[in-house]
Amino acid sequence: MSVNTYKRFFRINPVLLKELKVKMRSWKAAILIGVYNLVLLLLTIFIMKLTLDNDIGVPTQETILTTYAFLVAAQFGLITLIAPALTAGAISGEREKQTLDILLSTTLNHGSIITGKLFSSLSQIILLLISSVPVFSIIFLYGGVGLTQLLQVYLFFIVIAITLGSIGIFFSTFIKKSTAANVLTYAVVVFFYLGTILISVFYIRLVIMPNNALGYSKTFWLFNLNPAIALISLVVDQFREGAGSIILGLNLNAQQGELHLWQINVIFNICLSAFLLFISSVKLNPVKRKLFRRSNLILKRKGS
Amino acid sequence: MLKIENLCKNYGRFRAVNDLNLDIPKGEIFGFVGPNGAGKTTTMRIICGLLNATSGKVYVDGIDVSNRPKELKKKIGYMPDFFGVYDDLKVMEYLEFYASIYNIKGAERKKVCEDLLELVDLKDKRDFYVDSLSRGMKQRLCLARSLVHNPDLLVLDEPASGMDPRARIEMKEILRTLKSMGKTIIVSSHILPELAELCTAIGIIEKGRIVMSGTVEEITRKVYHSQTVRIKVINKLEEAIRILQEYPDIDGVNPVSESEVEASFNGDEVFMNKLLVRLIQEDIPVTAFNQLEGNLEDIFMKVTATGEVKQ
Repeated sequence: MSVNTYKRFFRINPVLLKELKVKMRSWKAAILIGVYNLVLLLLTIFIMKLTLDNDIGVPTQETILTTYAFLVAAQFGLITLIAPALTAGAISGEREKQTLDILLSTTLNHGSIITGKLFSSLSQIILLLISSVPVFSIIFLYGGVGLTQLLQVYLFFIVIAITLGSIGIFFSTFIKKSTAANVLTYAVVVFFYLGTILISVFYIRLVIMPNNALGYSKTFWLFNLNPAIALISLVVDQFREGAGSIILGLNLNAQQGELHLWQINVIFNICLSAFLLFISSVKLNPVKRKLFRRSNLILKRKGS
Repeated sequence: MLKIENLCKNYGRFRAVNDLNLDIPKGEIFGFVGPNGAGKTTTMRIICGLLNATSGKVYVDGIDVSNRPKELKKKIGYMPDFFGVYDDLKVMEYLEFYASIYNIKGAERKKVCEDLLELVDLKDKRDFYVDSLSRGMKQRLCLARSLVHNPDLLVLDEPASGMDPRARIEMKEILRTLKSMGKTIIVSSHILPELAELCTAIGIIEKGRIVMSGTVEEITRKVYHSQTVRIKVINKLEEAIRILQEYPDIDGVNPVSESEVEASFNGDEVFMNKLLVRLIQEDIPVTAFNQLEGNLEDIFMKVTATGEVKQ
């Protein structure tokens, strides 16, 4: 790599810098952090009260794990709701504000615009995650959950946030209106969270089971794409408890090859994000779009 | 500085730009005139690498627009007809953001931004939020933004649209200053008389074709095939009219008031000088002798109505 390449690599993305400046000085950021932690704190108190009431006021290992699992689930749910909303309007918003043409007329790399937008949104999510550490630390008061486990979960959250953000950026680049981009992003998120389960169950019941007298004890491949199931798999793997086969075609304790379900999901999410960001970057480049159109035309002609 | 060869742009079956050719030398202010949908913005977007041409070539300072977009963008400053602003950025931050894109750093960045704010007369607004500026100020800021990397070629799409007369005059003054700095400027506008005052050359575009191009005088001559001079005299108007009617190569004489007469002729500045000398030799008390600039709006209407194609 030349000196210039190094310089370019370590240069802070101007879009990211600008977005951070704008986002962090507005009241919206403070309100978002406040509301996020308030919701998380109320949930924690509520769950702890419920679990402690069931005992005799002394937290057991089961109480701590239940509280931890609920907290992780709550945080995961909030990220799922927030990440698409922060990114689905990123590029279409620039288009609506009529600032995109100006950006594209500069020497700024198209990939830098995409990554700048993504990581500025992610920085808000990372800030939310960091700000929620004190809430999570309530768990440490009782013991039973280690720092490594918490870090593992946080890294998983970041991967999920990048994936959801990439889906948002992808639709934001391809769809002109932010509202439509938001709707499509959430539709894809619903597909990954619920659609994969429904399709898997129906497929196993209607296609695999009638031809398989011995039953189906493996994990169906489509479950690997589901982030919610991957999170359950991660928590189960952390504590080596419970689970097993919770629904038909999903065995959380079983490894597929050398990997757990959540590990496969993380790899899939990283690949999906890279692919979506690359496609978005290509789409944003008005010159390269023509190459794609030409190759499509050639393919069509060959086909006909 | 800018060379366009056989440029075509199709949107489906619709041809927005049709075999357009242009050659704009360095240091020129070129006015792009045409009705809505004539292909001005499409051409400008192709020049700036924001749109692909269906066919044809565009060269900016010898750089092929389609092959070396990054090098091209260093040479071009673009100001679109509609431009947005970032709500939460201050004027100085807005310029600094774009300067950072061009990798202008530290003290140099600050100096460049300060100088540009001074050029567009917005220095006292440096700490105002961009959103709080008037339309005219925003347009001046956008012009400053397009200059942040010191480009050789400025592409300004309707830079004075929606401005009040004062703001338009200010914008014109800035463009003149930029010309004196050696910048080549392409400017599109609907306010035709302003282009006539400002531009060194004009291209009239209709249905994606340049129907006429050249200086305002050249175009006037092409359209009207003659020039007009307005002469103001004291008392002896009838005698002046008689001399003008008898003078060779004068096509028509038309009194416009009790002391003024317009004479159409087919000739150059030497002809005009000889005519003035003759009037004075005949003891006609001439108080004004002005060549009338062609009315660009009339020319525009005439040219676009006939669809005459001349380069």
